Amino acid sequence: MTSSRSTRSAPPAVEARNLTRRYGGRAVVDSLTFQVRPGQVTGFLGPNGAGKSTTMRLLLGLERPDAGQALINGRRYAELSRPLTEVGAMLEAKAFHKGRTARKHLLCLTQSQGLPADRVDEVLALVGLAEAADRRAGGFSLGMAQRLGIAAALLGDPRIVILDEPVNGLDPEGILWIRTLIKRLAAEGRTVLVSSHLMNEMAVTADHLLVIGRGRLLADCSTAEFIERHTDPDVYAATPEVARPALLEEAFMRLTADSVQYAAA
Amino acid sequence: MTTVAAVPTGPATTRHTPDFRDLLRSERTKFTSLRSTWWCLGVLTVLGIGFNILVPALITSSWNTMGPGTRQDFVRDTLGLVLQPGAQWAQIAACVLGVLFVASEFSTGMIRSTMLATPRRTPVLAAKAAVFAAVLFVLGVLIALPSLLIGSSITAAHASLPLADPTTVRGVLGFGVYLALTGVLALSIGALIRHTAGAVTTVLALQFVLPAAFQAVPGNVGAHIAQALPAAANVMLGSGHNASDVYSPWQGALILLGWTAVLYAAAHLTLRRRNV
Repeated sequence: MTSSRSTRSAPPAVEARNLTRRYGGRAVVDSLTFQVRPGQVTGFLGPNGAGKSTTMRLLLGLERPDAGQALINGRRYAELSRPLTEVGAMLEAKAFHKGRTARKHLLCLTQSQGLPADRVDEVLALVGLAEAADRRAGGFSLGMAQRLGIAAALLGDPRIVILDEPVNGLDPEGILWIRTLIKRLAAEGRTVLVSSHLMNEMAVTADHLLVIGRGRLLADCSTAEFIERHTDPDVYAATPEVARPALLEEAFMRLTADSVQYAAA
Repeated sequence: MTTVAAVPTGPATTRHTPDFRDLLRSERTKFTSLRSTWWCLGVLTVLGIGFNILVPALITSSWNTMGPGTRQDFVRDTLGLVLQPGAQWAQIAACVLGVLFVASEFSTGMIRSTMLATPRRTPVLAAKAAVFAAVLFVLGVLIALPSLLIGSSITAAHASLPLADPTTVRGVLGFGVYLALTGVLALSIGALIRHTAGAVTTVLALQFVLPAAFQAVPGNVGAHIAQALPAAANVMLGSGHNASDVYSPWQGALILLGWTAVLYAAAHLTLRRRNV
């Protein structure tokens, strides 16, 4: 209702079409095709080096694909006139200048989008950094840096949120905080894409999974379906329903092990 | 599409589409919010005014031991005597700050935040250059004015320096233009090399080592090349009557403008093509 876009048939919030990226002849992202749906947390899984981060960088216009398309609301990221109000992203915890305070870091991003400066205090309060707002970000702990990254991602109140390994290196309280936030963002109807290689974390956070290995899409289904399909049937049958999320790790291992064998054959 | 209260409701409906002025505001915030900026600007001011006073003072004090030819040079180009020494040294701070303004974004990861906010990329470089050039121009003029007042009183016994003369006004504005263009040149090299130490070394080699090296080449070929390097544009701060000048002040300004334009264009293309 806030944009004219909703009046015509809306394109997918996040979409990859035959997305391909090669480094020195080797396809790091290999003909990926997927869509990310709103209102749920989509977990983006894959072994190290599977191409998760590269895919996210392609979606966010930090790299250009060698083939295919990466689209946000039907457009290339570079075509968004005020990107932070459409997509909020955190690719690394420390995407800020160490010498700048948290407040000034967020302020320069706010100004670049033509957003009002009071938005800075809103997001600082939201991530619990109000007290540290005027401290230089270089002195932040990893947990505080993650919070600053999340604050930057939410600055423009985006309908799409893309987070690369947001719980990496966090203490249990930080993990719980991010998990709760991610779920709430999805519950608000936002499109949430979160990468991780922590299976237990994804098992309790993600409603839907995109799994890639060696740059190729291995699975695109709900988390429950993924576990059912890729766990040993006997183990699956013997596991009580409430404990089944814990099987995600085993399912993931089986699937990606298969993919390695398949790729080597 | 309502938003749960805990995430503050978006300002998306009330704001204008961002334009270049928003980018200027953003880059101004980046520029002023770092301590290194104020250190560099402080050093720049001290070097600029300091050498603009020191060198005329030293020359005046040794006036009686100088030969007539040397005296003649200083009388003919008193303007250069009171402006060029400061420009020569102040440009070091301008170059370091110019490199830092861009390269520190790459070395810290800030560049990803910047490019996510402005995916078209090159307007960011233009905004940076505009903010930096504006600051250096104003600061340059503010350094040149007291330099002239003090310098002309120091040299008054031997040479007159008319303050209301068009050449003098050109020198004052030229000081600002010289620093601004040199700063943008350094900023462009920072964007090309992306590595703070490497870019600082490159800029200082271009500004100090190469001119000295070419000056040392016998004959006037070396001198001609040295005078075509960007640092030699400080000829634009002189009267144009110095016997050792190869180019006129306006030609010097054009040479610097050419170097800066070429390097800026290269930085523009690189930023568009290379991954960040």
